[in-house]
Formats: sequence, C-alpha cells, structure tokens
Amino acid sequence: MSAIVSGAEPLPPAGETAGAPQGERLTHVDTLDAVNTLVSGPLLDRRRWRRWWIAMIVASLLTILFFGSMIYLFYEGIGIFGNNSIVVWGYPIANYVWWIGIGNAGTLISSMLLLTHQHWRAAINRLAEAMTLMAVAIAGLMPIMHMGRPLYFYWLAPYPNTMALWPQWRSALIWDFWAILSYLLFSIVFWYTGLIPDLATLRDRAITPGKRIFYGALALGWRNSARHWHIYQTYYRTMAALATPLVCSVHSIVGLDFAASLMPGWQETIFPPYFVVGAMYSGFGIVVVLCAAARWGLDLESLITIRHFELMAKVMLMAGTVMFLSYATEWFSAWYSGRGVDRRFLTFEFTGAYAPLYWIMIFCNCIVVQAFWFRTVRRSLTAIVIISILINIGMWLERILIVWNTLSHHYIASMWRLFYPTLWDWLILFGSLGFFAFLYLLFARFFPVVSIHEVRELVHREAIR
Amino acid sequence: MNDTAASHAAPASRIEISRRTALKLFTGGIAASLAGCSPPAEKNMPYVDMPEGLVPGEPQYYATALPLGGYGRGVIVKAVDGRPIKVSGNPRHPASLGSTDVFAEAALVELYDPERSRDIRGTQPINGWTDFLGELQQWSGKAKRGEAPLHLVTSTVASPTLLGQIAALKQQYPGMRWFAYDPLGDDESARSLIPRLDRASVIVSLGADPLGSGPMQIMASRAFINGRMPESPGGMSRLYAIESTWTLTGANADHRLALPPDKIDALAMEIVGRLEGHPGSPLSLEKGARHFVDQMIADLQGAGAGGLLLPGPMLREETVQAVLQSGKRRGAPLDRAAALPAQLRPEAFAAFEEALHSRKVQNLLLLDCNPAFDAAPDAKFANALKGVPFAVHAGLYDNETADLCRWQLPLSHPLEAWSDLTSADGTVAIVQPLIRPLYDTRSQHEILGFYAGQTAPSGYDAVRQTWNREPQDKGFEDWWRDALVKGVVSGRSPQFTLSAGNAEISPPASSQSPSDASAADGSFVALIQPDPTIYDGRFTNNAWLQECPKPLSKGTWTNAVSLAPEDAAALGASDGDVLAVSSSEGKIEGPLRIDKGQARGVVGLTLGYGRTDAGAIGNGLGYNPRLLSPGFQNVVPGVHVKKTDRRAPIPSTQMHFSLEGDLRKLLPEVAPGGSLPESGPKPSLFGPPQPRDPYSWAMVIDAAACTGCNACVVACQVENNVAVVGPDEVANGRAMHWLRIDSYNIGTAEEPRHGFEPVPCMQCEKAPCEPVCPVEASVHDTEGLNVQVYNRCVGTRFCQSNCPYKVRRFNWFAYNSGQEYKDLGEDPMPARNNPDVTVRARGVMEKCTYCVQRISGARRDAEKADRPIADGELKTACQEACPTRAITFGNLQDKGSKVNARRADPRHFTLLEELGTRPRTTYLARVRNANPKLAGGSA
Repeated sequence: MSAIVSGAEPLPPAGETAGAPQGERLTHVDTLDAVNTLVSGPLLDRRRWRRWWIAMIVASLLTILFFGSMIYLFYEGIGIFGNNSIVVWGYPIANYVWWIGIGNAGTLISSMLLLTHQHWRAAINRLAEAMTLMAVAIAGLMPIMHMGRPLYFYWLAPYPNTMALWPQWRSALIWDFWAILSYLLFSIVFWYTGLIPDLATLRDRAITPGKRIFYGALALGWRNSARHWHIYQTYYRTMAALATPLVCSVHSIVGLDFAASLMPGWQETIFPPYFVVGAMYSGFGIVVVLCAAARWGLDLESLITIRHFELMAKVMLMAGTVMFLSYATEWFSAWYSGRGVDRRFLTFEFTGAYAPLYWIMIFCNCIVVQAFWFRTVRRSLTAIVIISILINIGMWLERILIVWNTLSHHYIASMWRLFYPTLWDWLILFGSLGFFAFLYLLFARFFPVVSIHEVRELVHREAIR
Repeated sequence: MNDTAASHAAPASRIEISRRTALKLFTGGIAASLAGCSPPAEKNMPYVDMPEGLVPGEPQYYATALPLGGYGRGVIVKAVDGRPIKVSGNPRHPASLGSTDVFAEAALVELYDPERSRDIRGTQPINGWTDFLGELQQWSGKAKRGEAPLHLVTSTVASPTLLGQIAALKQQYPGMRWFAYDPLGDDESARSLIPRLDRASVIVSLGADPLGSGPMQIMASRAFINGRMPESPGGMSRLYAIESTWTLTGANADHRLALPPDKIDALAMEIVGRLEGHPGSPLSLEKGARHFVDQMIADLQGAGAGGLLLPGPMLREETVQAVLQSGKRRGAPLDRAAALPAQLRPEAFAAFEEALHSRKVQNLLLLDCNPAFDAAPDAKFANALKGVPFAVHAGLYDNETADLCRWQLPLSHPLEAWSDLTSADGTVAIVQPLIRPLYDTRSQHEILGFYAGQTAPSGYDAVRQTWNREPQDKGFEDWWRDALVKGVVSGRSPQFTLSAGNAEISPPASSQSPSDASAADGSFVALIQPDPTIYDGRFTNNAWLQECPKPLSKGTWTNAVSLAPEDAAALGASDGDVLAVSSSEGKIEGPLRIDKGQARGVVGLTLGYGRTDAGAIGNGLGYNPRLLSPGFQNVVPGVHVKKTDRRAPIPSTQMHFSLEGDLRKLLPEVAPGGSLPESGPKPSLFGPPQPRDPYSWAMVIDAAACTGCNACVVACQVENNVAVVGPDEVANGRAMHWLRIDSYNIGTAEEPRHGFEPVPCMQCEKAPCEPVCPVEASVHDTEGLNVQVYNRCVGTRFCQSNCPYKVRRFNWFAYNSGQEYKDLGEDPMPARNNPDVTVRARGVMEKCTYCVQRISGARRDAEKADRPIADGELKTACQEACPTRAITFGNLQDKGSKVNARRADPRHFTLLEELGTRPRTTYLARVRNANPKLAGGSA
C-alpha cells in the first residue's frame, strides 16, 4: 500500500481539503490523523453535500416508485407481472438471485481477503459490507413480492401454530429462507461491529452535541483500550472465518433452488459452485461502481486508488473466466448427456426466442471481461466502470434466462410458451435499484464509507516498516 | 330529472308553511312511512318434517333433455338444494348414451347468465305482460278476421308439443304461415344423416363431419370408436376423409385428402360412378391424390355393404342424392335423422324474407331464433323488421333480432320449463324443469298458449296434453312418472312427431351449385362451417364455451380465417395478421390461422361470432361469415382475400404443435393389433410403494379413442368450479382448465394429421411437485392422490416449475372470487358453483384432483352400506362426459378392475416414463389403421 503512504508532505486539515478547488485533492494520506480527517470530515461538517442531494432526489423518486409498485402489486395481485401458467417464475426471482449475488461480494471481500491477509481490502471493505447489507435486504423483499399470497410469507418459518404445521424441510425454498435470514442477520452484525471503533472516532471528533450523542450511543462505549482491541480482533477474525462458509452456502443454496428440480437446464450439479462464482463476479462489479462513486463524491482518491480497481479487475477477470468455463461445462454436459430434452434445450438457448439475450449475456459475462488481460484497461477507471456495469447487465440476463429458458422450453412440447414482461416487472427492477441507491446514500451520509481504524492500522504498519 | 326538479322549485309553487304545519306534516310523514313502506307481513316457517327425498346438501338428480340445433340430447342434471349445478348424459337416451358434449355441459352458464332477458320489454320501459296481452288480443282478433295473418318464424322444431301447438294455431288462424330455418344452412339432406359408423368397415367422408359438433356428435363418436375397438366384430374400421378445411372427422381419419369443395363434389360423382359400374371420365387430380383416390375406391369396393360413403353439406343436392341412392343400393349403414311429418312442414326462410320485404307481414312472432344475426344480418332485413307493427321476439336474450322488434318476451331456459324434445334418432324425452324460472319468463309453450287465446297457459299442462290424448286414461300417471324418471318416452306417440329412419326429404327448391366455384382469377372459395365451441351463435355469450379451446387450433374467444400455408405465403401473411375477406355481398375481417392440410384456394370460416348484441361476454368477438352471403350459402365462391396491416393474434392455449425427434414419444402411434415395447416401473432402492389404504386410484386414457371433442374439458370446468379468465388472460397464457387436450401435428408434410392427448394431472406416485413446496401444500394422500391444500398454499409456484407435465394452474388474479372477467361475478352466476368444491382464492395453485369430491361421496355411500367402492361405481367428471369412453378410472388394488385390464394392454404407455415419476394417469397409444397400399401406410 505504498501508494497511500509514500507521500512526504504533511496533510492539511480536512476542512481545508474540503474548501480546496477540485483539482487539488489529497493524493497522499500518511498520518493517522489525516485518515481520521479525510474520512470523518464529510460526516461532521455541513458543507459539501450538493451532489448527495441531487442523487438523493433521484433515488427517492425511484424508491417511491418501488414501494408504490409494491403496494399496487399487493392490492391487485401478482397477475400484474408478465408470468403465465407455464413460465410461472419471472422478474422477482431473477432480481432476487441477482441482488443476493451482489450481496455476496461484500462479505467475500471482508472475510476472505481478511483471512488471506490482503490488506488493501481496508479501503473498500466497509463499502462492500454496506452494499451486502442493503442488497440482501432488497433480495429478501423479492421472494415476498413473488409470492401469490405474500401476507403468509411467515409460513415458511417454523413458528408455533395451532395446526402444528411445520414447513416442508425438503424444499430448497426453505433452505433458501434460512440462508437469506442467517446471511442477513450475520451481515448486520458483521457490518455493525466493524463500525464500532469508527463510530467512537466520530463521537470523539463530533463538533455538535447532537452528533456526539448520536455516534456516542452507537459506539456502545468503545474506549479504544488495548483490551477492547484484543477482544475485537479475536471476535472479528472469528466472524470472518464464519462468514466464508456462510457466503458460499448462501449462494449454493440459491443455486439449489434450481438444481434440486428435474427440469432440463436446472438439474445440474455445477449450479452451486457456479452460482457462488457468479455472485462474486457481479458483486465485485457493483463494488467497483460504488467505489468509483464514493471516491468521486467524497474525495477519497487518496484512499481508494487506481490500484484497488486494478486488483478488483483481476478478481473479475478470474471470475469471468470461471463463468465462461462453467457455461461451457453446461453446454458440454447437455450435449454429452445425449438426452433429447437437454439437447433441444441447448439448441433453444442458442437459437430460440431468447437467443439474442443469451448472446448478449455471453458477450457481457465472458467476452468483455477478457479486456482485463491488458494493464491499460485495468488502470482505466472509465473502462473498469463500464465493464463492471456490462457484467452486471450480463449477470441479470443470466438469472432471467435461467428462469425463462427452462420454464419456456421443457419436456411437454404443447406447453412451450414465452414470457413477455409488463411495465410492473420493469418498475420493480428499476425501483429496487433506486431503493438501493437511497439506502446507500443514507449510509454514506451518516457512516464512514471507509473503515477508519483499518486504514489507520495500515498507515501505522507502513510507517513502522 | 333536473328539469322536473327545477320546475318544482319555481317560486310560483311556494306555499307558506307555519312551524306547526311543518311539524304536523313531518309527523304525518313518519307515521305514513312506518305504516306504508314495510313489506307485507309474510311469516316464514322452517319445515319440521323434512320433505320426502330432500336432504339438505345432498344432490338430487333429474332426467331431462337439452336442445342443440332444435334436437334433444337426454341428460341427467344434478341439483343441490334446488340449484342445478352439473349436467351429465343420460345412459338410457340413445342420443346421449350417458355422455355429453360441450354444449350440454355449458348449459348451466346460460341458465345463470346475468344478462339473460329477465323482463318483458315493449316500447315503454314499464310495459308488462298485461300490456302485451292486451295488444296481442287486438292483433289476434285481426289475424282471425284475416286482416293481419300470423307469421311464425322458428329455428328447427323437434318438440312434439310445440308441433301440436303450431298445428292447433294453424287451425285457429286461417292464414297463418310458419317458417323455420337452421342457422347452419338449408342443406338439410346432407346434414341430417345418421351414419352408423360402428357397422361400417370403410368410411369415406366427402366433406361430412359426423364427429364434429351437432346434435348427432355423441352418437356418431361413440359408434365410430366402437367400430375401431380391437374387439369390434368386423375388425377395425378405416376412415378416409376428403375435406377442404380441417374438421374433427378429418383429424380422426386414417387418411385424409384436402380438396376444394367443387373437386369434392366432382370426386363424389366419380366414386359413385365407379361403384355403380359406370365410370365416367376421372377427375383430374395430382398424382399423389389420384393414387389416394384409386386405392380408396378399391378399399371401398372391397368392403361391400360395409363401405360407407358419407356426403357432406358442401356437395350439390344432386350429388348428395346420387351418393345416398348408391349407398342404399349397396346397403350402406346410413340412416336419416328424425324429420317433420309431411303434413306439417314449415316454409323456408327465403319465403319469409320475401313476405317481409313485400310488406305482407304485420303480425309476427319470432320464437327462439335470431335471424337478424344468423340468417340475414343485413340492413334491408333490419329495416323491414323494424317496420312490422306487431313484431314479437321470444328468446333467452334481448338479442339483435329483439332490438328490431316491438316486443321482447323473455323465454324460460330449458332447465326452467316443461317441454319435450325429439332427438336426431327419433327418441323423445320429456324436458322437466330443475328450478322455478329465475325471472318473470315464459316457456315457448306458454307463449304459444297466449297466442292460442289462453289467459294463463301452463307449459306443464301443454306437455301432458300432448302425451295424454285420451281423457280418462288410467295408465297415464304411471306412464308419465316412468317417462320422467327414465328421461326417455316409450309406448306412446303424440299427434305430431318427428319420424325417424329413412324418410325421404324432398330436395330444397334452390340448390346451390359449387361447381362454378373454381374461379381462375385468383379468388378464393369461402367455406362456412359451424364453430366447434360456439356452434351457430346461440352460445356466443357463454363464457365456458368461449374459453374452451377449439379442438385443432386451440384458439379461444374468436373465430379465425384459415388458409393453406401456400395461400398465406402468397399473401405474405402470417398467423394473427388480420385478413379482409370480401364477396360481392359484403366484407369481413378476421385473424389469419395458417392451417397445414387445408385445401388451397379455400378460405375456412366459422359461424357464431361477430355478434353485436349478445351480451358483455360475446359482443365484439370475431366476425360473422354470413355477411359474405346473406342466406344460408355455405360455399361462397369468388371471394377475395387481402392482408390488412393490423394484427390480432388469436388467444390460444397451445403455442407449439409439432413433434419432432424423440418428442414423438409423447404421443406414440401403432398399427391395429400393434403394441409398444414392454415397460414397467423401474427398479427402486425403496422397493415398490406399499399401499396404506384399500384404494389406489388410477386413470388410463385411450389416445386412440379420443376424438378431441372437448366434452371432458368443459365437464371438468363445471364440476370443479374452474374459473374463466377471459381472452386477454388466455393470451397471457393463464387459462385455468385443469384438463387440457394437447393437439399435435403427427403426420408428414405430404399428409398432415392430428393427434389428441388429454392431459389431466398425472397424480405421480413420486410427484416432483411435492418435495419442492416449502409449506407442504402439495401432499400425497393414502389413496395415491397428489392433493393440493389450497388454504395452505402461499403461491411460490415451485410446484408448477418442477412439474414435467405442466398440469398445474395458478390464480394470478381472483378469477373466481372478486376479479372475475366481465360480468361473471354478478348474481346469479355464483350459483353455478359446485358446493362440494372450494372456490380458489387469488394467489393459490390448483390442479386436477381426480374429482376427489366424487371419491369422497362414493366412499361415504360405500361405508354406509359397509362394502367397498365397486369398480365403475365412481366416475370422474371427464370420464363421465367422454362420448367415446376414452377414460377409465378405478382402483389399482382391485385386481379385476377395468383400469388394471387397460394398464395391461399392449398399447399401454406412461408419459415421460424416464423421469421416474410413476404417474397414476397413463395412456394407451393411438392406433392408425392405415391402408398398406397408400404412402404413409407404414406408420
């Protein structure tokens, strides 16, 4: 992390940085106080939030659209979606898998990179964890919107009832219910406990009593003592160790929602691992976009450097190549199985009604990412952001095509039928993006988007080296 | 309204009112409203002693008959607490044989239709029956004096009582004229044939459609399949169909040849000539078609008296007569439908039009017919009818014709009124009401009673008088009771009746000649046929029939314009493009359906659509082909077809019809006596499942016996309260039918053929839908049924995702409980529901239950008598409806059960057996009795 700390000039106080013209941003952070100032400054003074307000208005409008559509959905019934009696699943399922996938990357970055001593993660892990939390929360809404009788969603839980009825444990949807629930609870805890030392920093630096009380209450009495740090480190690493299998299990189980069936195109043993990789893939894509936004909006160029983007591009390159390999494996096993239904399904994927979307998906998920073999592309922020967005479009297409292809083209030829989305399908999809942005903006307004204490640790480590 | 209010408030009418006066008036008003506005005191008393035979909630069954095209089909109607809820066939009735057709099954919707004509309508909104009767008296007087003779127009009449009444009216009104017509056309001699298909060994249909919709459909289908059973005495019959557009008969044929109507006519003459031994010059045909015809004639000659040549209504009258004469000489098994006695024959509709247009008609009664739609949908007729001073229309609906008449008299539904009906084969059944008239309606007999001068005519008395011609007849009451119980009349004959058998029919005066039909100027021949689910337009407002998929195209809610693929390609049109079809008389527009196997140069049109005043359900759907040729011409030469730039895709329940590669396994076909490779349940680690109950229900469906008539589909809908979703939702792919009939193109490019496969729930023993349900709403019961617990279902739809057969249906909206299509939720429509079956809420999955309510009923009965449920005692709704008995249902654990015998048949197969779902619903393969000398005969 020499890029962060190698600067020789002492940093001006954060307030001055804020007042500086656009061109003169901080490029080096080399003292602990500079870290504190840089990250906590925007939260504690009142000035530089115009961009935030503009973004917030857009996000709020989309959020209103999202909840408005949801209310109409609950009032009118799920017939407002484009689903039919044959393609019974549609956008909410694809959205769900997509959001859950995005949600996976945060924990992966936090825990796996922590356990493998990838210290560069310190600059982006908070961003990624917050993203996880919000993405999983939105993902959790999707199955409820998908249900025919959403008011009874809690029947999936084994709650005590007079009929002595339990859920049906053989169903992948029940596993899924637990997977989302435990992952969501875990994400909240992991994110919040990681935030505690930073909340204490904010408390200590707060200039108004209101902010002091707000952050003080949330800091739960953190006093920065050695004993606190000792317990904290042990706890945090243990949580990270727990998170890694959890993150794999969540998306494996999402994969099982499809794989634990007997439909062509779904009944594939490769689904669990390939869903995990796919989740990491799209998650990193969104992290890239969020990092770029935070870096630009909060003047964090000195903390989130182009080297971070380059590293993430390498991870995406790896994931994209694994995805390509997974698709190829699917194609091969469909052909190699010799089963008519599987081969017909394969032909349908490449030449059927949804084939243009399938080709776009292959382009976005497998081809575009190969540009990251080139260092110039990896170091171009614009290129990385565009490719990340393309990857996420591709990953959403992958999820909707998994649903559409299999349900449209199955065993009984008389019942082959296509899906045509309605306005409401799109409103829920884009509304959920807006709601995500809304939550994220709130987070960025009130909490440090970069882990202050971990960057401090990094700076310290580099300083004593 | 506002004007009156304003005039009352005018200052001129203001009165000075003191406080005391105001109070007085106020008190007086309250007292008056208390005293005057309460309903009269009528004390209700619950019954203490239960009426004999009536147990609340227990169904009662009555035999009656329902008309179709005027002829009756005997039915048994189930009523619960006085509400008719299900129509089934009457096994004693030869035109029903215990089975039904779609129209009988759907009759209940008509009874409960909120848009039925409820009150008499005159020129003033408050006119009542008394006003009408007053006016009638004046006109009757005039009619009797000969000033304004009565003109009566009906559709086909096959009720002995109605015939008697008409005969009596003729006596009463000297100058009375009676006109009758069949909306399908005036080609009576070909349409009223009853082929005895079970006695024929080689059947050649020349454009005839005995298996298609009509009053003889059930009889003909049963006979046809009886002649094709491997155990039938003369071996399996072979059916050749020569037709222009696809019909059910063509779809069930072993060999089919598509020719335009004029060529069929010429070919008919050639065949007759060669059979009679004086061949003329052969018709010029393509090489393949010539070979087909030669082999077919050879086959027909070899069959002797078993060779049946069946003329269709599209042939010229001379040709029909020639074919019939030839058949008679050879002793071919062909009878005629019951016909009116010679002394009581109505005049043709053309004569009525003539009288109307020459302004001779002043006193007119249109009884249960709708000529302004189905006979003469032109402005000239409408204007002339409007000009009739005393035009009275009596019908179930205030329809297109009623709008043009001075009076609309609401008719009682056949399930509300007494009558009698003759079936096509001459059997008479008494029609007895299942329910008191829901509204202030009268039956046909009562209306004719009014015309006869009776003040309070009774349909009941009229029908009884028909059958009790000698007063003091001691045996009558016993006979009457017996006739009602059995649903079939025997041992007595009324004065006027239809005579069955080989009665000659004099050819109609004007005979159409299709031989000049082949125009070389690129024009088409339009062929008009009854619609398979709407028939002639009388059922247009029937939502069940609208949503019932057309057997071959699976389209719903509209009629299509069908063309051969080559003709469509020449027009540059594809499926769903709106085509404009015009003749010298008029123009219609309808969506194109490309029909592989339709004759080139022919435009296929169907009747029954294009109504403007049918009701909320039927208005504005499709086109009326009669606009092309007012009158009853069913072959309209010289029509021009143009593509418009609009599209109107037909709402369809099936999108893919072809079976290629190993998809053929979905619908295997064997030669007579053939068998499928031996297959049994695959070995399982868990061993064979151990039954925990004395019953293991199973169903076997014989694909060879399925003619695709749809009776089972509608029967299932009626029995199980299956919702109607409307055309938009069908187009969205959300039709709710629990039982569907898959239709596949199974032939070759040269000889396209159709195969039908009814698909209910497979009731898999290892059901893929069960383990995926998160809340255990899809579970197995101890009798092997895969049941859906509606109130546990949360609607994740994983079950349907994982169902390889795609038999589950989801309530995307509250189709039956709050978000009904159009007026289907209005009273009294919900009264049609079967009280034994849950009405499903929004957001739950549903599917075929093997009619679990019937199983429970049978189990209760059996337990009361302390015996097991006997084989055949219990029938599912689809099984009961099936005219060809293609469906067998029973207990697998009863070794002697019919369903076990069928599962041992060499044609037995399981749909998608390789998935290991172990379905309880299995199939017998299709059988094709191909002529070995014809191409494709190897199948």
